[in-house]
Amino acid sequence: MRLYAIFVYLFLYTPIAIIALFSFNAGRHASQLQGFSLKWYGTALSNPFVMDALETSIVVGLIAATLASLFGTMAAVALQGVRGPVRALFDMMIYVAVMIPGIVIGIATLIALVTAFDHLNPWLAAIWPTQSAPQLSMGKLSLIGAHTMFTMALVIIIVRARLSGMDRALTEASADLYATPMTTFLRVTLPLIAPAILAGFLLSFTFSFDDFIIAFFVAGSETTLPIYVFSSIRRGVTPEINAIGTMVLAVSLVLLIIAQLILRRSDNR
Amino acid sequence: MTQRARNWLLLTPATAWFLVMLVLPVSVVLIFSFGERGDGGGYVPAFTLEQYANLPARWAAFKNTMVLAPLGTVAAMLIAYPLAYFLAVRTSQKWKTMLLVLVIVPFWTSILIRSYAWIFILGGRGIPALLEMIGIEGVRLIYTPFAVTIGIIYGYLPLMVFPIFVSLDRLDKRLLEASSDLGARPWATFLQVTLPLSIPGVATGCLLVFILLMGEFLIPALLGGGKVFFVGNALVDLFLQSRNWAYGSAVAVTLIVVMLVSVTIYMRLIARLNTQREDVSLM
Amino acid sequence: MTKHVDHISKKKFMEELRRYQKGSVTRRHFLGVTGLGMASAVLGSAMPGLRPSAAHAAGDIGDRVILATWPNYHDPANFDIFREQTGAYTQVNVFGSNEEMLAKLQAGGSGWDVFVPTNYTITTYVDQDLIEPLDLSKLPNYDPAAYDARFSDAGTVNGSVYAVPKNWGTTGFAVNTKHNDGQALTSWKEFWDITMGSFSGRTMVHDYQLTTIGNALKYFGYSFNSLDEKELADAERLLLEVKPHLFAISSDYQPAMRSGDAWLTMCWTGDGKQMNADMPEIVYVLGKEGGELWSDYYAIPKGAPHREAAYALINFLLDPQVNAREVLAHGYPTADGNTMALLPKEILEDPILYPAQELLNALEFGAAATLTDPSRAELLARFKSA
Repeated sequence: MRLYAIFVYLFLYTPIAIIALFSFNAGRHASQLQGFSLKWYGTALSNPFVMDALETSIVVGLIAATLASLFGTMAAVALQGVRGPVRALFDMMIYVAVMIPGIVIGIATLIALVTAFDHLNPWLAAIWPTQSAPQLSMGKLSLIGAHTMFTMALVIIIVRARLSGMDRALTEASADLYATPMTTFLRVTLPLIAPAILAGFLLSFTFSFDDFIIAFFVAGSETTLPIYVFSSIRRGVTPEINAIGTMVLAVSLVLLIIAQLILRRSDNR
Repeated sequence: MTQRARNWLLLTPATAWFLVMLVLPVSVVLIFSFGERGDGGGYVPAFTLEQYANLPARWAAFKNTMVLAPLGTVAAMLIAYPLAYFLAVRTSQKWKTMLLVLVIVPFWTSILIRSYAWIFILGGRGIPALLEMIGIEGVRLIYTPFAVTIGIIYGYLPLMVFPIFVSLDRLDKRLLEASSDLGARPWATFLQVTLPLSIPGVATGCLLVFILLMGEFLIPALLGGGKVFFVGNALVDLFLQSRNWAYGSAVAVTLIVVMLVSVTIYMRLIARLNTQREDVSLM
Repeated sequence: MTKHVDHISKKKFMEELRRYQKGSVTRRHFLGVTGLGMASAVLGSAMPGLRPSAAHAAGDIGDRVILATWPNYHDPANFDIFREQTGAYTQVNVFGSNEEMLAKLQAGGSGWDVFVPTNYTITTYVDQDLIEPLDLSKLPNYDPAAYDARFSDAGTVNGSVYAVPKNWGTTGFAVNTKHNDGQALTSWKEFWDITMGSFSGRTMVHDYQLTTIGNALKYFGYSFNSLDEKELADAERLLLEVKPHLFAISSDYQPAMRSGDAWLTMCWTGDGKQMNADMPEIVYVLGKEGGELWSDYYAIPKGAPHREAAYALINFLLDPQVNAREVLAHGYPTADGNTMALLPKEILEDPILYPAQELLNALEFGAAATLTDPSRAELLARFKSA
């Protein structure tokens, strides 16, 4: 059993080790080791396209995760008190949002928005007071829109699971003590569902940060980190890509350790 | 403000978002699937069933997906289960969290980069070169369905380990003790107590992986050498190469229908297998 | 102008270039030894048009330019030099077929500043209003008179210049002769037959309708550009029969050929030259039945976000000194007489880059209709998904 576990961990980590190993390669080629060097880390960090892609990924991820957590939690709380066809309709939308493959979401959003923009742009140009009317096109906004849609469904599912596990007696007791619904929500419900919201936020950010397939279709001229990596793989990988991957992994690990330390400290209190 | 009005207000942003970013796009795809391809590509409005009549031209892609997605799901499950069992039942509390986190960590490097590492491992200078050293020649791994399956297992293993682990971890250890106290052999305990109780976790993991696999595009593209073709690859080709939006939409609609049908059947089966249906949720 | 390269012998230059490309010497060393650093500096001060010094000082071309091009198609060192001269970083996006480029532009918002379309596609881009006529005053290095018209006239549509020539080339195949008793193949018939025979599982074809279908048509002696229903049906039958014997369907075949995974591949001139230079057992062959002759161009898409940088990059790459380095790196023939004057004799007499006239005569330029006709796109998709 233990042997088996070791084998699976080897399977999981061999590719990661290879990625990290080649990130220290001195040579240009990704398939031959030619001595130790840190230069690809320098190359990656001084490449404006890498930095831009990273920034786009982080900005899009943060905005999408924030919107998804906010609107998703609002919807989950409201759905507690909604029954009947509205509830059924909403459940179906969540189900479909999670079920439809990312590739279909990407394609559907692309053709819907491109078609809509084709109709809206001339109209916008006609009614705009000045000469240079803004042109609607695919970009950060369409990307945030698509990511928020999908991750919002995830947040609703997670928060609702937490809400349904919550003891109703608590909110009832709060109401019996003449707390307003708002006070009840802020003092009783919110603290209880906060971990679920946080989990939803983190999951949403991770999803958005790692997503390639939706972004591939809806990002327009914007480049996210996965899109940058994809086009680099096609033009022949240099160890720069390995360096980027290793850095992202290292930063995630550091964040995880910090989170663990904070949690442990708050537990000890 | 009445409770009713407040609920409506709270639901408004999510509803609006779903309408614009989900209902509208899916409706457009549905409408386009009855249209025609424009001369230079794109879409021309029409009402025809021609695109659907042409679906058999992508039969192979659907067949590949419908074979490799369940196969990959089952393979990932078979590999993940013993690990999840080991982590949940056989690991001390001290190591549990750390080992579990170690399962997820590889998930944080882009799937693109990880698949690229597999191109190297399975390519001529990787495993085949090692095999040659021990006298086994001419083995070809890269750009085969085998390579795609390895990539799938690798890519989705953590998603499978997690829910199975959760269901096994929740399991009351006293049940296992009671079973062995009553003289049941370890295997009997596993088959009669552990396995049935972990079914919800297995079901959730399989559902998650299956859904993602049905729309897979990257792993076949990178590890299949353009020969192992999923519906996802067909879609990318139709929109990014032949620019046939109408036909592409029909393929997309068909994929959605196939998914909804197979997932519904799957949920029914699991529900029958496991009377506590509530446990089989998406998350 | 040749004297700058003559700081060292041409042979030495080539050796140093190879070493640099393999990563064994740094760029500084390379530029130092070959005198190119000096050359760019001297040329830069001598010819204001060549080095947009104002741009460099004021930075008004911006700090970046996005180039959509083909695999293994540039000398990375040139982009480093461009960055040193202008401050603009070049992002290279690689594509495997003209269809892919067209689809990306049609969907809008590609974000490209410069891209590299092939001769037969330019009229389609003009018809669909996707590219803009070039302002030749911003391309002082472009000397139309120096070009062989065969490889430059497709850039002019309805009297306006929409694209300027990058280089030309042929589509043949590369074979690793080690696996065929040292023998090269000579025809497309042999290419397809050996794939179904002793090379089973070792052949690659392009992920590109024009060449993959075109060269299957050649098996039967049909035109490379055929749109005839019966002829295409024959080609499809052949492709479906061959598919189980293929190693991969991909336009980026160098890594697999070099690692020994693949033994035979459809191949463009420069890839053939690059592989042959490093591994002489890989030889480049033009099928005697014919095949494709092509010419690639630089063009600027409508709405390019960094238009000034786009012009600066094209102008830089058209500078004969720079272009000569490009040719040495990518191994595709140039149609620019000024650049050819700088190239060593071995290159100009190289049978891969400049094949014998009778072999060239059998080749055809791609036809615009193959790009827009849905039957060929659909045929390739059926082949891939089979």
